[in-house]
Amino acid sequence: MDCEKVRDRFSSLWEKELTPVEKKTVKEHLSSCPACRREFEQFEKTMRWLQSVGEVEVPDEFLPELLKKMEERKRIAPDKKATERWFKFPLSLKLPVQAVAMVAIVFLVLYLTKMMPMEEYRPKEPEPTSSPLSLEKKSEHALAQKEGERERVVLKTSPEAPRPKDVERAETAVPIKERLEATAPQVKAEEKKAEVTSSKTEVMREQTFDLKEAARVKVPSSEPEKIEKGLSAQGKLAMASKPHQEIILRISDREKAISQLHKLVKQFGGEIVMTEGDRFLASLPKGSFSEFEKELAELSASTRTDKVFARKPVTGDLMAGRGVEKEEVDEKGKGPVKLANGEESRMIVRILLVQE
Amino acid sequence: MKTSPKIQREVIESCKAGDERAFAEIVLHRQKRVFNIAYRMLGNLEEAKDLAQEVFISVFESIKDLKEEGKFDAWLTQITLNHCRNRWKYLKRRHYFNSDSLDDPIETEDGDIPKAIYDPSENPETLYEKKMIQQLIQGGLQKLKEDQRELIVLRDLQGFSYEEMGEWLGLPEGTIKSKLHRARMDLKQVLERSAH
Repeated sequence: MDCEKVRDRFSSLWEKELTPVEKKTVKEHLSSCPACRREFEQFEKTMRWLQSVGEVEVPDEFLPELLKKMEERKRIAPDKKATERWFKFPLSLKLPVQAVAMVAIVFLVLYLTKMMPMEEYRPKEPEPTSSPLSLEKKSEHALAQKEGERERVVLKTSPEAPRPKDVERAETAVPIKERLEATAPQVKAEEKKAEVTSSKTEVMREQTFDLKEAARVKVPSSEPEKIEKGLSAQGKLAMASKPHQEIILRISDREKAISQLHKLVKQFGGEIVMTEGDRFLASLPKGSFSEFEKELAELSASTRTDKVFARKPVTGDLMAGRGVEKEEVDEKGKGPVKLANGEESRMIVRILLVQE
Repeated sequence: MKTSPKIQREVIESCKAGDERAFAEIVLHRQKRVFNIAYRMLGNLEEAKDLAQEVFISVFESIKDLKEEGKFDAWLTQITLNHCRNRWKYLKRRHYFNSDSLDDPIETEDGDIPKAIYDPSENPETLYEKKMIQQLIQGGLQKLKEDQRELIVLRDLQGFSYEEMGEWLGLPEGTIKSKLHRARMDLKQVLERSAH
């Protein structure tokens, strides 16, 4: 038996676990090998030292301290338990809850990302108003666009259309701006009066444009080619925002007046673009507007027509106001007004029938 | 190498039901064993006391999970060893043992005493020398690997059987014997180096 094998059996020899044959072999080697004998002596000494090591006594305060610690933890435990409880739940319970939470988060994120742009966009939109005037303005705007599209198909009106009676032509050219402004309240007052008490057929006309606008009306109508060239989407919008004219027509025979009105409009190359009870919106070439007014005035000789030119306060919306201002500036700077393009060749006339 | 009296099944069942008196009885019966294992494993009385208390708190909190009351001692020793391993790692991370050379004073029950580098076996009768042997052994154990220290503490200091050790450590007896022999030989070398 070599030294290494003998040294591997030191523990077994010490614990008396070797067979008698093994014990004899090891002992013989130890007696003949001083190095292994010295090693075994050291090993025996270590084992004796280990056996001599006694147990240390437990401190007296061990149990009281332990119980105190447990009491302290009991006080803290309720707060801790609530958070720790979740971690103690089985996965079969935690996973579905986590999945549902994840889905909820995804939906929330999607909802928020979809909602945010809309919320940002809303303030940019014009504030909807419920007043009839704004609605009217809108319809006019739409009509103007529609009209622009139809401009290309120029309808020829029959010159033989019967002339309506009982209409006195309103003055086309607005002489003085101040006059317009001064008569504006009167228009309102007369409107009310007409609705309630008037027994006569009369035409009241309100002009909502100023000097510049009036001058433009006087400008002879431009050629159709020019009109067609000038039309554009932008132009249509601009036209819609322009101030329009309003004519109040007092009539005795409604049906007749309506048919005559239709004919008259067609005769001047225009069209009735919207009918709303006794209200009509007509689109007319600007050049023919003065003639149209004259014909309307002749609609009935037996009736009296009141002519009023006024800056219509209700139509003085932002766009119209801006248009007026801009045009005034233009007039100062450029002098005589010229038709820049076809978009200015049409105008919207509002006709209100008041039955006696 | 004393064997503690076996704890009665009723006491364990009462403790399972949350009876603190039964728990205190268990502590009184097993505190010395747990405390000594902790001390031999860590080499510090204060750490050993703190660890032993933590072991008993764990016992009280989880005794309801113990299915076989007859295996209480094995279960308790496993909890103790696990706590020792964790604390050892914790202290090692904080370089707790770095300054602990064999020349440092060693903490004993009777306070710190300076290390003397000489062979105490020449005068083994004196109490002082007995203390010196204890210091040398404790110092030597700290130099061993953790698993080697465990084997020596359980077998040579606590006197557990190979069968019990095999069960707690999850190793066959033969493996435990060979590992333990290697640990003893390493300790011998450590002590030889420190004595010369």
